[in-house]
Amino acid sequence: MMLPAREDIRVPITYEVVKQVASDLYGWSLKKVPDDTLAALSAARARETNPTSQRTLDFMQAAARAAEREDRHACSDAGFPTYFVRIGTRLTLDGDIRRAFVDGFAQLVATIEPPILKFITHPLTLERGYAGKDMPIVSFDVVDGADYMDITCSPKALGSGRWADLKVFSYPTVAEIEAYIMECVLTAGSQHCPPVVIGVGIGGSFDHAAKLAKLSTLRPIGSRHEDPMIADMEERLLAAANKTGFGPMGTGGDTTALAVHVDYAHGHGFVPVAVCFNCWINRRTTARIHENGEVTRLE
Amino acid sequence: MSDLVSPDLPRLTLPLSRKIARSLKIGDTVLLDGEVAMTAGFSTHQRMAAALEEGRGLPFPMNGTAFFHMGSSCRQEDGRWVPNYVNPTTSTRFDAFMPTIIRKLGLSATGGKGGMGLASVEAMREVGCVYFSMPGGASPLLSRGAAERLETGWDDLIEQFRLSRFRLHGFGPVTVAIDAHGNSLFDDLQQAASLRMPQILQELEQARKRSGLA
Repeated sequence: MMLPAREDIRVPITYEVVKQVASDLYGWSLKKVPDDTLAALSAARARETNPTSQRTLDFMQAAARAAEREDRHACSDAGFPTYFVRIGTRLTLDGDIRRAFVDGFAQLVATIEPPILKFITHPLTLERGYAGKDMPIVSFDVVDGADYMDITCSPKALGSGRWADLKVFSYPTVAEIEAYIMECVLTAGSQHCPPVVIGVGIGGSFDHAAKLAKLSTLRPIGSRHEDPMIADMEERLLAAANKTGFGPMGTGGDTTALAVHVDYAHGHGFVPVAVCFNCWINRRTTARIHENGEVTRLE
Repeated sequence: MSDLVSPDLPRLTLPLSRKIARSLKIGDTVLLDGEVAMTAGFSTHQRMAAALEEGRGLPFPMNGTAFFHMGSSCRQEDGRWVPNYVNPTTSTRFDAFMPTIIRKLGLSATGGKGGMGLASVEAMREVGCVYFSMPGGASPLLSRGAAERLETGWDDLIEQFRLSRFRLHGFGPVTVAIDAHGNSLFDDLQQAASLRMPQILQELEQARKRSGLA
């Protein structure tokens, strides 16, 4: 018997699968602190010299383990979900993929236990609900030659969204860029539930720098940027952020940031610099939908 | 309660007596029992400050009590409101209203995460009130100390914005981060970080040189 060629057995990625994954990802992200983040908290605890900080880091780790074990929210503020979708160009799609995210979010809201509160806020009237214009926020990208779709969910609330900042420079020096990043760290202080992951995007356009900063917060903690110049920058900025002394939850200590992740893009010469933060629970989770419709949770 | 990280911490009962509130020091870490009012709502704070300034009452008496910046979700079980979860919210969001609320109610304790502005610190000094800092994002453990929701007011607001009265049992750990004498750990650390910044920038410059950057 002739086996069908690989091309022949490929099935399209459907609306139903994407909707279910969108729903699951948001739920998972609320109830699990990523493993790399737990490892970083544990390493920070071992280095920490301030007794209040040591206690706070212990409590954080215990709370994170309890969230996963007892299927509870790590934070009561579920925020709103943002999704990053990377679609392999060898995939075929079937159905309304953008709508799948809206409906997946609605499905999660209707079914999650314990229930989540209303956080989706109209920016002008401050009215709150479970849905709204452009909600959830979804960005799409393509991966040339890939036969899978990766989806990352990263919910945004105050600690993971409020303290972000962006400034556009004209032909800045590295010193000016780094001074601005430290100004953002100082302004945020301890308002973002430290220890945080700091994401920095340098160059490109206004929106691209912001996207690079945001994507940088999603990078695994402990990974080094492939460009040694950027990797060195990350290292010295992490040391600098931790010299501020804000500490876990801002009651003093050696650990204000778990990581600084930087990325850059070529641009025109005017240089946007974007800085954003992810609070200590570092909510992010990723799944891969394979070409046969199978789903793997990656983190 | 069994797997609290620090079951051996000292316990305090809310509302605090003025004497106890004034005796607490920055960095004291405790567990809390007793009663507290809470809300996570900006609009709630607005409404509270307006009602107090106009001499109108609040949904339940709060003079001399503890009032926390916290959100909560509850379910009904056998006629009681059992918390699904509670968690602190960012206190500086309410900086415009807290001085009025602290003074008019003569609060003995407040709390949340991230501290409050200097106008609130001054109001707290005047009335003898402390601020308890709680860990954010640690809801599964922190929620264990929230025993029961006793009542809510302003039910036209969404759940976490309602003014809610809770009974606590071993709630915490919470750390005194602003005392009743005008000291604020947050302000101290913010000032220290600002003062340290020239040195930090100089060290960045040295690190850049080591990396071969001008």
